Amino acid sequence: MKISQLARAGFLVIAGLLLSALSMRAADSSPVVQLNTSKAGPRQIESLTERGILRDYRFAWTSLAQALEFNTVDPLDGPFVGDAKKWITDSVNSQKSSGLSTRHSDQNHKLEAVFYAPEGDVIELHDTAEYQLQLLDGSKTVYDAHVVMHYVVLMTPAADRWVIRQLQAVPQF
Amino acid sequence: MWSSTNTALANREPVGREFNGRVARVSKLRHSRPFVHVAALLCLLSVCAAQKIQAPTSVTAGEDATISTIGSGTATFYLFGPGVASKQDVRLGADIHLAAKDLQNAGAYTAVICGDPCRSTNIYVVASKTSGLTFLVHPSRVPVGQTDAVSGVAFPFDQFHNLVLAPVSVDFQLTAGASSLMSRAIHSENGVAWFRTASGKSAGPLQVVATVGALRAARAVQQVAFEPCNLRIKGQRTSKGIMVETEPVKDCAGNPLPDGTIVTFSASDANGKSTVDAPVKQGVARAQLEASDSMIVSAASGVVTGNELRIGARP
Repeated sequence: MKISQLARAGFLVIAGLLLSALSMRAADSSPVVQLNTSKAGPRQIESLTERGILRDYRFAWTSLAQALEFNTVDPLDGPFVGDAKKWITDSVNSQKSSGLSTRHSDQNHKLEAVFYAPEGDVIELHDTAEYQLQLLDGSKTVYDAHVVMHYVVLMTPAADRWVIRQLQAVPQF
Repeated sequence: MWSSTNTALANREPVGREFNGRVARVSKLRHSRPFVHVAALLCLLSVCAAQKIQAPTSVTAGEDATISTIGSGTATFYLFGPGVASKQDVRLGADIHLAAKDLQNAGAYTAVICGDPCRSTNIYVVASKTSGLTFLVHPSRVPVGQTDAVSGVAFPFDQFHNLVLAPVSVDFQLTAGASSLMSRAIHSENGVAWFRTASGKSAGPLQVVATVGALRAARAVQQVAFEPCNLRIKGQRTSKGIMVETEPVKDCAGNPLPDGTIVTFSASDANGKSTVDAPVKQGVARAQLEASDSMIVSAASGVVTGNELRIGARP
């Protein structure tokens, strides 16, 4: 085999590996979210609302993961407000000052709407979230586990999206 | 409530209890040489035990907590949780004190001690007692006598703004003037209590109050008249045309319609039909119509139409 052929083969292998790594990274950064609205009440959730909640909840977790991995609060502007935004911001600032970071990957969220206010101005969701959680000190991983978490979530409608106002982990529902 | 130690792994091994971790390690060593077995057993009995940590599984927000460690030497302690990420050097065998200010946010905390290897445990911080209420009431204006027209939703929070998920009894009271329209105690479920009820019979302010123990949140809803009833008009010629006005506009329960309610006056004469919209002011709507011939004037508000008024030509 000629050197040029070897080089081409090598290039193809590297390109393939890069593509594979990128696609895996993309899969990591895009949470999978399912929403069950059958138990929601007293107000019924319309399909348009359901789609909006799914879209905005997925975006919120993408933003949360970015904020805690790269220690930046910029992604939090928009999807989070109130107390939820405050504690995530505090986490980012604490991590930054200690040289720590947190990585959430392979996220899978099973959402269940448990309360939708009569006037539609607040919705409570239960999220059974599974993801790979890594806690890092600089580049050293000090904790790496596949975790199953339960979150109680309050979302309210803003001008053009649903925002997370409360995000509180509990041992079980 | 005390948890056993979880194994924190730096090499993507699944999390498991310490006991399971030991079994796994022993099983892997079965095919190794004898001295490796001995070393592994020594590890299990000494070094690995030295990394053991214990923490309460549940802590109330804003309270101190203590994590116990077993062993000797130094290690690095990490605490990750909502609003907190810290790192400190600790001495194994001594207790690690978690300050109340680091445990104010309800949620899951992960404590990690890294000597060799890392060990971890999880702590759940739960909300403390209710010290605040978020109370949403709708609508701000409501017609009288409507079923399921007024609703309220209350969320109990503790002093650190954590949602209180334990059931809490919320007393909802609706009063209009001196009369009580509703008084109901609802136990919160999943951190929320709510009600829906009919509006009262009389126009005026409706006070809606949610109470949890000594906590009280009050909101006001303005009850207004429903549709007008028996809309009647009168009119007279003036130098500029015809001045028409309604009698005081009220609903069928006798509540005066609020200012701003629109009354549409329609005038028909030989030249055709014209309309004028006029808002109710102090219970009465007025309009000036330009006409010299005889005409028929009528009025309507919402779905209600009033009487017809025949006015003769200018003499």
